[in-house]
Parts: sequence; structure tokens; C-alpha cells
Amino acid sequence: MKHSDSNGKMWLRSLVIGIAATCCSSVALAHHSFALFDRSKLTTLSGTVREWKWANPHTWLTVVVRKADGTDEEWALVGSSPNMMSRWGWNAADIKAGDKVMVDIHPARDGKTIGELHTVFLTGGKVLADPGGQTGEALAGGPSDLPTKPQGEPYK
Amino acid sequence: MKTVARNAPRNDTARVLCGWLGSLLVLVLSAPSGAARAAAVPQSMDEQTKAWREIATLPDFWQGTWQSVSPIADDFPTPPDYTPAALDYVKHYKPVEDSPFANCKPLGLPFVMNIGGMPMKFFQSPGMIALYIESSGMTRFIHTDGRQHSERPNPTYLGESIGHWEGDTLVVDSAGFAPDTLFQLGKLDKKALAQGDPSPLSGVIFGQHGPNLRLVERMRLANFNTLEVQTTIFDDSVFKRPYSLPPRRYIRGIERRNEPQEWACTDNRDYFDPNSGKLEYNVKDKAQSR
Repeated sequence: MKHSDSNGKMWLRSLVIGIAATCCSSVALAHHSFALFDRSKLTTLSGTVREWKWANPHTWLTVVVRKADGTDEEWALVGSSPNMMSRWGWNAADIKAGDKVMVDIHPARDGKTIGELHTVFLTGGKVLADPGGQTGEALAGGPSDLPTKPQGEPYK
Repeated sequence: MKTVARNAPRNDTARVLCGWLGSLLVLVLSAPSGAARAAAVPQSMDEQTKAWREIATLPDFWQGTWQSVSPIADDFPTPPDYTPAALDYVKHYKPVEDSPFANCKPLGLPFVMNIGGMPMKFFQSPGMIALYIESSGMTRFIHTDGRQHSERPNPTYLGESIGHWEGDTLVVDSAGFAPDTLFQLGKLDKKALAQGDPSPLSGVIFGQHGPNLRLVERMRLANFNTLEVQTTIFDDSVFKRPYSLPPRRYIRGIERRNEPQEWACTDNRDYFDPNSGKLEYNVKDKAQSR
């Protein structure tokens, strides 16, 4: 029962993300690739920050993920612009190389180790949501209803 | 003069007379240069004071910033009347999945007004309105001093803009565009698109504008917190008749987070692959400021 419950929630979440991606992404995602990333999917990465680049047109978070088999994998994650992110509570100094992070991402469709930032969970408990894909109203109004823990499928 | 000035506070008649004579003098002196145009750039302190007072009576475009709430691409609800060359281009246009702008090069008008992730801010001084567009880090300069377009404006990304007020509407006429400013000719029929395609740019027909591209934007406050910009495109190499786009909407933001910021494009890892019609990321060689 529990299993099917969580499947149901997953389905609902996928649907919600899908709808959000379909109808509300038009304002803020001018620069982003729609072809590369699957916005109907969320994957959770746990790893160590190698690079955090706060620059336009996009921020880049490079995370080294240790896989279940003991090998390391480098993930390049693209965020929206520092301008948009700072309006949503991000600060360049929030993240630095060596930090442990959990990150919800939209994964690449072709299985490459790249992704689009969705939400970053810092060890201190701070949660930062990427405003990419939000409506103009949400961009002007600031973030709301931040998740407290990762929502994606854990990557192993 | 000295005597009059010292006595004036105690002599009302003298003060009124002096003021009246002064005003007359200003009128006589300013008539030839001002050419009876209230919009002209003030040449004296008095004219300047008057010009700033007039600015205070204009609709408030100035307070806070304006965040787009319209989709990034323009809608073309009625089919444009294309020239044969443009019609041929549209017929053979292959839809791309991503927008063909992925570099640090400015987009230019008209599309620069569509990139909505960041706000815009208006400023004004007598004779000029400036519009900072954060998403491209560019500022438009709209001359409101009553001038005409230059005979041969040099090509620029934002063109040469001249504005005037029609009641509460700021009408901005722009011409003189660089040939490579991003231009949307139309929108593909939904049937031509892959089902469920999430990209708001996938149906957009981008292409070249003509050398005579001219834009007329009508900007007005739909209400105190909503700015509407309705653009009509004049381009005789693309449209047989001028095409009037539906208005775009922007909402006013007055909180600190809505304040304008710098936008310097310095770390670009995106590139548009014209063969696949997709954006790709160069994560190996890192930043390329193209």
C-alpha cells in the first residue's frame, strides 16, 4: 500500500512539474535549453561542490558525486542568472568549493552528467530554489512554499 | 537692479511689475529657440523648472521597475500579410527546439523587450526618457525633445527612438536597426509542432528583418501597477502591411528585490547548434564570452 501511495504521489508530482513546465515557463527561460533537459523529471544528487560560478548569463554548480560503486562522477549543473537568483534569496557566498550539498535537478534527456538546477539544500539547512521557469509574477514577488527536503529520485 | 532687489520685499507693486517684466523677457528670448515646443530641452533655469513640473504631471512610469508577465514570444493571432519572399521563408521554416540566442551578444529591438527574466526601469529628464533593460544590460534612449529621425541613422541594436505623448500614452517611434537584431516574423501553427512540446520558443519563426524596419510602440499604464506596450511593426520586406502585435504586459515592483541590477555577460557556456536546432552546453572548455 505504502509503495503504491508513493507512486501515486510521484505521478502527481510529475504531473504538476509537467504542467508548470508547459504553461508557466515562458518568461524566465529564454536562455535555457528546452531540448537538453527533461523538466518532467527531478533527480536528487548528493555530493561535494567542485566549482560554484556566480556569473551571467548562468550560474554553474559543479558537483562531484560518489556513486554506489565507489567511483566519482562530475556533474555540471546550470542555474538561472545571478540577477534572478539574488532576487530569490541566493547569495554568491552561500556556496563554496568543498561544501557538501544535496541538489534537485532536471536531468539531461540523453543521460549525460549535466542538469538544470532546481533546488539546492545546504548542510546548514538553508534551501535555495532556482527561479528559472517561474512566472513573471513569481519572479517579482519572490519565492514561496520552499521544500524542506529533496523531492527528486535519488541518484545512485 | 540692486536697488529693486533690495526694495522688492517691501514693495508688492514693484515685485509684481518686476516679475511680469521678467516673464515677458523670458518669453521674448525663448520664443525663437523654443519654437513653441514645450518638449524641447530647456535652455534656462526657468524653462528647466517648467519642464520638470511638466514631467511631474506625466503618468508614473518611473517609480519602481517593470517585470514582464507576458510569454517570451509574441503571439500572431491574425496571420500576417507576408511579402512573397517572407512567405517563402515562413513556408520552408524548420521549427527549432530552442531559441537561437545563446551568447553574450545583445539581442536588440524588438526582441530585447521580450526577454522577461529581469525587470526594466524608466528614467526621465527633460527631452529624454531612458529605459534600462536588465536582461540585456542595455539602456534605450528615447528622445522626447520634438526632433525628427535622422536622415541616415547609423545601424544600432536599439535603433534611434523618438517619443511623444498622446494623452497618457507614450508613443515611441524607432528606426535604424542593425541587420542582426533578433526578429520574430511570426508563429507556426500549433499543428506543426511536436505534441506536448514544452518550449515556448519552439513555434517561433525567427528570421531577418529588412533595412526599413520601423517600430511604433504605444506604452501606457493599464492601471497604476500594470504597464502595457503595444508594438506595430513596419517592415516592407517582410509584411505587406504593418503588423500590430497584441500588447505585452509588465507589472510594477517596488520592493528592494525589484531594484535594477547590473547585468554583465561574462561566462557563457551555451551555444546554439544550427544543425540540431538545439542549445548545447560547453562544459568541457568552460566559459566562452561569445
